[in-house]
Amino acid sequence: MTPSLKFDPAAWQPEIKMEQFRLDNGLTLLVLPDQRLPVVSVQIHYKVGSRHELPGITGISHLFEHLMFRGTKTLGPEEFSRILQAKGGEINAFTTRDHTSYFENLPAEHLELALKLEADRLLNLKLDDETFQPERQVVISERKLRSVDSPFGLVEEQLFATAYTQHPYHWPVIGWDQDLHRMTLEDCLAYYRDHYHPGSMSVVLAGDVDPEAARDLVDRYFGRIPPGPVRELTAQEPPQRGERRAVVKKVSQVEALLAGFHIVGMDHPDLYPLSLLSVILSGGKASRFYQDFVRPGKAVELSVELPPLPFSGQDRDLMMVLAVAAPGNPLAELEPEIWAAVDRLRREGVADSELARAKKLVRAQAVRSLAHNFFRGLLAGLFQVKTGDAGRANRILSAVDAVTRGDISRVANAYLQEDNRTVVTLKPVSPEESLALGELA
Amino acid sequence: MADYIPEIHQATLPNGMTLLGVEYDRVPWVSLTFMAKRGAEADPPGKAGAADWTAEFLTLGTEKRDQLQLARDIESRGASLSARGGWDATLVSLEGLAEDFPDLLATLAEVVQTPAFPAEEFPLLKERRKAELVHQLDDPRERANVRFLRLFFGDSPYGHAVQGNLKSAAALELADLQGFYRREFTAGTSSLVAVGMVDFPRMAEEAARLWGGWQGSGPASPPYTATPEKLCAPGIYLLDRPDLTQSEIRVGHLGVPRTHPDYFAIKLVNYILGAGGFSSRLMTRIRSDLGFTYGIRSSFHFRRAPGPFIISTFTPAANTAEVVKEIAQVVGEVRRQGVTADELAEAQSYHVGHFPLGLETSRGIGNQVISMDLYDLGRDYLKRYCDQIRDVTLNAAAQAANHHLKPDNLVTMVMGPGAQIADSLKQLGPVNFIDEI
Repeated sequence: MTPSLKFDPAAWQPEIKMEQFRLDNGLTLLVLPDQRLPVVSVQIHYKVGSRHELPGITGISHLFEHLMFRGTKTLGPEEFSRILQAKGGEINAFTTRDHTSYFENLPAEHLELALKLEADRLLNLKLDDETFQPERQVVISERKLRSVDSPFGLVEEQLFATAYTQHPYHWPVIGWDQDLHRMTLEDCLAYYRDHYHPGSMSVVLAGDVDPEAARDLVDRYFGRIPPGPVRELTAQEPPQRGERRAVVKKVSQVEALLAGFHIVGMDHPDLYPLSLLSVILSGGKASRFYQDFVRPGKAVELSVELPPLPFSGQDRDLMMVLAVAAPGNPLAELEPEIWAAVDRLRREGVADSELARAKKLVRAQAVRSLAHNFFRGLLAGLFQVKTGDAGRANRILSAVDAVTRGDISRVANAYLQEDNRTVVTLKPVSPEESLALGELA
Repeated sequence: MADYIPEIHQATLPNGMTLLGVEYDRVPWVSLTFMAKRGAEADPPGKAGAADWTAEFLTLGTEKRDQLQLARDIESRGASLSARGGWDATLVSLEGLAEDFPDLLATLAEVVQTPAFPAEEFPLLKERRKAELVHQLDDPRERANVRFLRLFFGDSPYGHAVQGNLKSAAALELADLQGFYRREFTAGTSSLVAVGMVDFPRMAEEAARLWGGWQGSGPASPPYTATPEKLCAPGIYLLDRPDLTQSEIRVGHLGVPRTHPDYFAIKLVNYILGAGGFSSRLMTRIRSDLGFTYGIRSSFHFRRAPGPFIISTFTPAANTAEVVKEIAQVVGEVRRQGVTADELAEAQSYHVGHFPLGLETSRGIGNQVISMDLYDLGRDYLKRYCDQIRDVTLNAAAQAANHHLKPDNLVTMVMGPGAQIADSLKQLGPVNFIDEI
């Protein structure tokens, strides 16, 4: 017996339906309706990240993200989170080089409450020493966790500090240790005034919402907030003229390297072939790096790190290669083999089957991710905040489909060059040697 | 009853295996999981990692295809194959586009039913796994987790990492993996879980065709449900790591099995104690009030046998003793005084409100179905879940806190720079220095 079919995968369309509104004060609203579950992802993306900082106050965007949870004129510290979490919400925020994003994934019936509380903390944030000082300590602890004590945190910081000499991607999102110690409450207040206003905001509502009703709600809570100064920041890193190398010595069980090649920013179509190139090299177990290096035990890990769209840098980002040498296989022998493999790809190109595999993997992951209201909201919201064009979320798959083998060869030759490369190696030392090198910070 | 809660269909295949299927229509995706209901707790003595290694080895070649061909065929469909040992179960999963459902289910059957155990792959697997274990030592959090389990459970079945350790990695041989497979991968103690954009009758028909003739060998190990005879004595244990700038802190005692009747009350109390993020007492005290850490969390690890209850955090070295002291105080307060009516109401409201968010993805639904099946929670578990949360009374929560939190039995392990922290820890009680595993 052939069962009757209720589901037809071929009938499904990947397009995200979205409606865009703009309030008079400059606020952008994106509504992505999906009524199948009674939930909504509320996202507010502020166009401010570490690229908007200056030396001396590095890390302020991220520290400020923490302060946004520390209370308002009417709410106590962390009460924002407690109230919305008590409704079933997932409440969090994250800061990147290009933007700061706050989100609440929660039952749709509490949409208005979430918007009301977001508007409250935008207008009435309580900023004083009582909230600032403990939060600074929390961030100092977070920096130790993520950068200092983590296996490759300092290596990654060194990579960006070496690869970028003029662009603000030079410093880490979490900031330099000494800046975190010397930053003042006044610095934070000035930052708040400059960057937290409707003109730098994109609000995204993805889930069980009606677009018109959602617009009215957003207008009710945000419409009367005055616009602030919108200053577009232009920052450029000059082309790299020759390989740069650095060494980080740290207690470690393994030798490793993290290399970065300057590529393009979000506005450049080469990101599509570059993303496929990264899958060909290290995505999945049939990839070149896995088969040639990881499977035979030469490397514990060998991966190409390029965040998928729209998570890569707004400005020219780095395509990174992380190589962790297997114990007994010296990094000095592993590294030339890795670059030889890259050179071979540049010379010989890739096979049709490799490109087809990469495209299918990218497509399948996109389909899977679209089940998440949160992810669909991020796709639209981050394209909006980084490029001003949320509609690009719906053009990723066609752009990926259009990539040819020639495109892969072209971008490999254009960007994966020695002169465009920065390499930071992790050299293991004993605890005694580490102490003799001075304080880790 | 909310109409968005999916129906869980069940069928018994001709070989006795259970098929659990959920029709899912958000995206054209399908998640397929084979579950052998024995995991790392069934690793033979001295052979820690057997379940997890066996799971990976199944993906390294079948009677029809070698590892490269298998990876190419699967990835050229955009699908992904993963396999891992866990506590109480070993899982082999294949996820991909719903249009490929019959091929994906056939491939999963091929991997589970006809592994080739290629001898040439074993030394490579062994070297990779040893290298990964060495690399893992560089992650302070992971290292502290593994060391704590060993300290707490000793040689009992939950005392090792699922991935094994360097000593067991040296001891494991191909025959151990073949033995684990022969013993634990049998139809009578296995299930198949399918969640995707596929009609259930079709799932059942394909599953019967592809799986109905498979029996495996067996007999499977008896399920592990015991409480270890000997556990670590309460007290403070220090693992010196002079190179760290922060201390990793693990504090715990023995918890309860998943089937314990107080499960929902414990879950809510633990949310209030330390699992509820900024709504939790530990986070409020140690992060918000004192600024001592970026994060702190408590967890009851519910398993077939009593799993551990663990509080995990980290702090700049200078705060170590104070954080240890505060943790014990907070646990003591919750045990003695219970939780407030407002806290309980918030915890219940969180779990009920959050429930539909767990139904967005096929993997999320699949994980819930796996857990339901593994611990015999009943096919109506999802439909009863919110009521069971709402039914916990303030008195039941107080009883659960009183019975299941044991501030006098805490085993506290600190991994950090001893020279900076030992003296202040000694103010809290005798400090036992411990070594790496």
